[in-house]
Amino acid sequence: MELEEMKIAWEEMSADIGRQKKITDSLIIKMTQINYRNKTLKIAVPETIGSFGCMAMALYIAIHFQELHTWYLQGCGLITLITLVLLPIISFRSIYVITAVQVEGNKYKESLLQYANGKKKFVALQKMNFYLGAILLVVILPVTGQLIGGKDVFKQHWIWLWFSTSFIFFYILAGRIFRKYVNIITEAQTILRELEE
Amino acid sequence: MQNKNEFIRVVQENEGLIYKVAKLYTDSREDEQDLYQEIIYQLWKSFDGFRNESKISTWMYRIALNTSIVHLNRERRKGKYVPIDEMPAPPSDNGNTLKAERIEALYAHIKNLNTVEKGIVLLYLEGKSYEEIAGITGFSVSNVGTRLGRIKQKLSSQIKK
Repeated sequence: MELEEMKIAWEEMSADIGRQKKITDSLIIKMTQINYRNKTLKIAVPETIGSFGCMAMALYIAIHFQELHTWYLQGCGLITLITLVLLPIISFRSIYVITAVQVEGNKYKESLLQYANGKKKFVALQKMNFYLGAILLVVILPVTGQLIGGKDVFKQHWIWLWFSTSFIFFYILAGRIFRKYVNIITEAQTILRELEE
Repeated sequence: MQNKNEFIRVVQENEGLIYKVAKLYTDSREDEQDLYQEIIYQLWKSFDGFRNESKISTWMYRIALNTSIVHLNRERRKGKYVPIDEMPAPPSDNGNTLKAERIEALYAHIKNLNTVEKGIVLLYLEGKSYEEIAGITGFSVSNVGTRLGRIKQKLSSQIKK
């Protein structure tokens, strides 16, 4: 189908659609109202729940910090605290960059630029969160071991088994997740290239 | 209330525009309905900001196309929208199989184009001038011409394949 043929077919289709006015007043109102309620409810529920979890854990560690007696447990405690604060901040930031396209006011080209750049930033932030998650997995065990179990896990021989298992788990997971990120970045770069053409 | 009535009138008059954009940027009926409703919601949200500086259709194309870009990001989440059985059926579902097939073929050709070209070709098919397309998309008039030339070539090679 050539472009001119397509235009004729498109005009015919548009005329058909024009004759079939179907949307009712009440349906339009319903759509705006239902969506309004959903917009207020959908503000990143999993991220919000996760953030509360992180903050509660951070608070618990901060209150009981003096129970970490050795320098290495204090070091782990400090890194755990910082990680627990950073994780939700980065999560919310990544949601923001991916939804930051301005629907009102923008032209198509500007929106596509925002969309593609947002995708690239999103991947960078998600990678950062992934690495922080890996660090957290390592440092949180000694801290909780001491604070909840009353044991210095560095003196337990199985700790190295835990660390090596965690490393293998994260290595496999990283391979899967980063392949997905490569696809997102490729899509973003394709759009940017199309815009420059 | 006056505003609401005016909005309903505008949507009903341009229902086809919303439908065509929603169909172009989605691959399933459910997704199409989601985007259709999302566009109406975004139009409603921005309606107060419309100041008659441009034609109402120009403003609607901008909102609809931008909403479609945002929608590219979104994973479908069930239960958020008006149920599909309450929605009006698209025109291609009205019994005329030959016509429906032709429309599907038309959309299939356009969907093969990249995201930038999709927006431009939609506006061209809607009968917009190069100047109007440039105004809505933000590309220069000459760039719109160049891109449409390239789109024609692409479509010709699609047919030959």
